Amino acid sequence: MLKMDPRTYIIFLILANAVIFIQRNIWVEIAWLTLLLLFLCISDLVKSAVKFGGIFLMCLLLQYVIFPAAPKIISSTFFILVSYARKILPCLMIGTFIVKKVSVRELTVALRKWKVPNRLIIPISVSIRYFPTIKEEVGHIRDAMRLRSIKGIQKIECIIVPMILSAAATADELSAAAITRGIENPCQKTSLIDTKFGKTDFVCICIGVIFVVIAALLQ
Amino acid sequence: MNTENIGLEKMKGKDLITVGIFTAIYFAVNMMFMIIGGMHPVLWILMPAFIAVFAGVPYMILVAKVQKMGAIMLMGFITGIIYFASGTFTVVILIAYFVACLLAEIVRYITKYKSFLGNVLSYMTFSIGMIGSPLPIWLFKEDFLAQIKEQGMSVDYVEVLEKVATTNMLVMMIVFTIVFAFAGAMIAKKMMKKHFEKAGIV
Repeated sequence: MLKMDPRTYIIFLILANAVIFIQRNIWVEIAWLTLLLLFLCISDLVKSAVKFGGIFLMCLLLQYVIFPAAPKIISSTFFILVSYARKILPCLMIGTFIVKKVSVRELTVALRKWKVPNRLIIPISVSIRYFPTIKEEVGHIRDAMRLRSIKGIQKIECIIVPMILSAAATADELSAAAITRGIENPCQKTSLIDTKFGKTDFVCICIGVIFVVIAALLQ
Repeated sequence: MNTENIGLEKMKGKDLITVGIFTAIYFAVNMMFMIIGGMHPVLWILMPAFIAVFAGVPYMILVAKVQKMGAIMLMGFITGIIYFASGTFTVVILIAYFVACLLAEIVRYITKYKSFLGNVLSYMTFSIGMIGSPLPIWLFKEDFLAQIKEQGMSVDYVEVLEKVATTNMLVMMIVFTIVFAFAGAMIAKKMMKKHFEKAGIV
């Protein structure tokens, strides 16, 4: 199983953005996506690999086969969503790596090694972890609304209010827990986990850089 | 707490966590309208206004909860990072967003963080930052349209975009955003009165 330094994932994310921005050649895009799928597979994330591969094929199929044949109104409405999806797919894939393979603790240690100040690390890690919670919460609220058959404009209020209430409660609880664990202690923090760059990290970053160069050359 | 120093002390652990959570909510609202904006050019141009209405509640609660310097700057910074990480940004939006956050922060500083009117003003300033998303249409029209066509936008979308990208539309977009931001802040105030103050949140 492939296990890399959290910093490698972050560098990879930046490289992936660079490749997607620079490339104009569909074969470069396909090769890049295939490589990332391969990475997902050897990192024990075969299920996600199948999912992302399916989405990518679907996008290509829609864009090159179905849209030219479909009525204009449909193709112009969904064209952008599809090309948008193709653009953020690599980032989503690396995002999956980070969420599934890197704990917030490891990420924090890695960012600390880069001397990122605590005032940034704390809100960023909280934000990232709160997204799945929002999704979950909206699901619960929807269920509750369906039970009470709330309709129309009232729906918006009925989503926002409980969401803000629970966000405020979470903020209070989380800070109480964090303060107990010494988040406000000004001294240098230590950690049980250590992160180090290894051979695989260098190989991966090299591959990423090579792709950026290829994408720039094959415009 | 010394009244003269309100807002000037450093943000502590609790403030940082609060900013993190409300940024996540703000970003979720933002993202939703970004995606809707992809469906029709007019929706894209109106996007800053839509976001201004719906993001009012998280923003106003955040500034009420964290009455300290830097809260909005931090929120803008994290939003920028997430946009950067998901690869959906232009340089123009990052700059516009940064400037708007800075101005909002200055407005809060001048109005001493506690005044409601000051917070409304800062929210209006902050909301204008989102016009950085469609702004390149006016800044470098020809280049930008050619670029997004090449990047995979559909020809129809770009054609409609070319038609609606007039100076009138630009003025309208800015006015709409300001008016809708004001409306968003008022909605937030109403909700605060109705729900959040009772629950003891602000």
